[in-house]
Amino acid sequence: MNKVVDRSLGDREFVKGADDDMIICRCEEITKGEIRRAVHDGMYTMAEIRRYLRCTMGLCQGQTCAKLVKGIVARELGVPAAELEPASSRSPMRPTEMYIFANEESEEETGVCL
Amino acid sequence: MKRYDLIVIGAGPSGLSAGIEAAKSGANVIIFDENARPGGQLFKQIHKFFGSKEHRAKVRGFNIGSQLLKEADEAGAEVRLNSTVLGIYQDKEVVVRSGEAITHYKADAIIVATGASENMVPFEGWTLPGVIGAGAAQTMLNLHGLLPGKRVLMLGSGNVGLVVSFQLKQCGCEVVALADAAPRIGGYGVHAAKVARYGIPFYLPYTIKKVEGTDHVTGVVIAKIDQNFKFIEGSEKHFDVDTICVAVGLSPMSQLMKMAGCEMDDNPKKGGQVPVIDEHGQTSVPGIFAAGDVSGIEEASSAMIEGRQAGIYAANYLGYIDDEKMNEKEASLDAALDGLRQGMFAPSNRGKKIEKTEEGIDISENLLAKGYVADDEIERFPGVIRKIGIHPVMECTQNIPCNPCQDACPKGCIKIGSKITSLPVVDQTKDCIGCGMCVASCPGQAIFLLNENVGDGMAEVTIPYEFMSVPEKGDKGVALSRSGHPLCIAEVVSVKSSPAYDKTSLLTMRIPKEFAMKARFYKSEVLAKTV
Repeated sequence: MNKVVDRSLGDREFVKGADDDMIICRCEEITKGEIRRAVHDGMYTMAEIRRYLRCTMGLCQGQTCAKLVKGIVARELGVPAAELEPASSRSPMRPTEMYIFANEESEEETGVCL
Repeated sequence: MKRYDLIVIGAGPSGLSAGIEAAKSGANVIIFDENARPGGQLFKQIHKFFGSKEHRAKVRGFNIGSQLLKEADEAGAEVRLNSTVLGIYQDKEVVVRSGEAITHYKADAIIVATGASENMVPFEGWTLPGVIGAGAAQTMLNLHGLLPGKRVLMLGSGNVGLVVSFQLKQCGCEVVALADAAPRIGGYGVHAAKVARYGIPFYLPYTIKKVEGTDHVTGVVIAKIDQNFKFIEGSEKHFDVDTICVAVGLSPMSQLMKMAGCEMDDNPKKGGQVPVIDEHGQTSVPGIFAAGDVSGIEEASSAMIEGRQAGIYAANYLGYIDDEKMNEKEASLDAALDGLRQGMFAPSNRGKKIEKTEEGIDISENLLAKGYVADDEIERFPGVIRKIGIHPVMECTQNIPCNPCQDACPKGCIKIGSKITSLPVVDQTKDCIGCGMCVASCPGQAIFLLNENVGDGMAEVTIPYEFMSVPEKGDKGVALSRSGHPLCIAEVVSVKSSPAYDKTSLLTMRIPKEFAMKARFYKSEVLAKTV
């Protein structure tokens, strides 16, 4: 988030919305109200929101909700959604069981090594 | 660690096309796809494609998928299915999970062709079982042979919403309504007309107010919205449904590019987060290319051409083809891509309100609001003529890049000319023999054969028919208007099918001649009471 640096939103009163109970991140069961409140608590970037609430961190890895969460945060901050930097992309891109990673070493290498 | 010249991520239309071109140049290519079946969305697409012959127009999507696979095989590109790319690391190292194994691969170039995922929109009850993406519904129908539900409301009137609504009907689901928050239908008019002909109502600008149900969807309330997206009191409409299909756009799945360190751009016109690419599809990381929807939402035909270009650029980067050959191949593909990017649905026209066709004819307002051209509007379009004897009527009223009808007619009755987006015109000096090739070849199912006077005050209308349990000669049913309104009793006088029609049957119904310009669909159900 390059263009939004002012963190004074916390001074603005939090007004409860009629649809605040609506679940936005279904994997982690985070509601719209929780996301809006997090912005008032000073979480201004997608990375901060993620660490604070765990939304976009569930099984779908944000495939369903990341765009929705971003929209809510942007509206709360009063900035265009395109200005909010998305959270980092990290491996594994798809949920992968730990034992599969643990298997990695035992896999016989058949190809040509560099 | 396994080494290849080129790794392609995604075996959809662009990924396969990219792999084919690179492999043909001599590069050692591997293509990964996380799905069990290749082809991306192509294998779900049972409708015929638009475009010209070079774009594989009038070929059904899944057949295009099979052709691409065969071509990839012949070119020597390896296609690995059930293989999920988990990450791209330094120096173009790629980690792939297949089954329970993790394998590392390395290449000198990577083409990312991971496509897009469906957008969701939250409303009260959106987490209930029964609310699904329209693409998911299409996967259930066309890949797994399952019905997502029995009574469906479709949200979104873009091509996905329209095409999936029609396919739900083809599978026997009831589509109760199509709603869109935009004031105008977003997809091709011909796709909307196929849905409207069945009597499915369009509600614009409406959106979902709430979905009812405790443990699954049992109903839905939609309501009209004003310019500020606020619900208008008293406009609510209730439907008993068990399924809500959401078709509200796609977002590029570009996370792998971000992980690879490519410079990204959040561009709402392209559907969201896309990599910044140069004129050769190359990202800010040398040797990493993007092709297809991952670099901006378009459609399958342009994704295939972009894929081929990316394959050629990567082959050039790898040293398999020289600049001269690359430029030569690029130029011919550019021409094909330009052909697709014309007309009123071209990317450059996105969001613009178009009031006249390229020919200067007023666009049908009724089509944009209700999904069908009104009776008093239809005859202003050049493909719609009155003539003694059998003749084609082409209800093609928008400039879309498509011309199979011109090639289909063995007698040269139909003219589009060299501009692929022009509306088709009937050459009245040529004699129609009623072969029906034009009816079957139209991907939009917008061509009908009319014989406005067959004696005894009757007329015959031949329509494309793509539903199970095709009626038989002698059956009696009801002729429906463009809006799906029952008009009169119709008798089936002929049903033709031929391998050349590619599973589109031609159904000829006999009706009183005053309905010749109105009757556009045949319904088998006995509806005598409503006629």
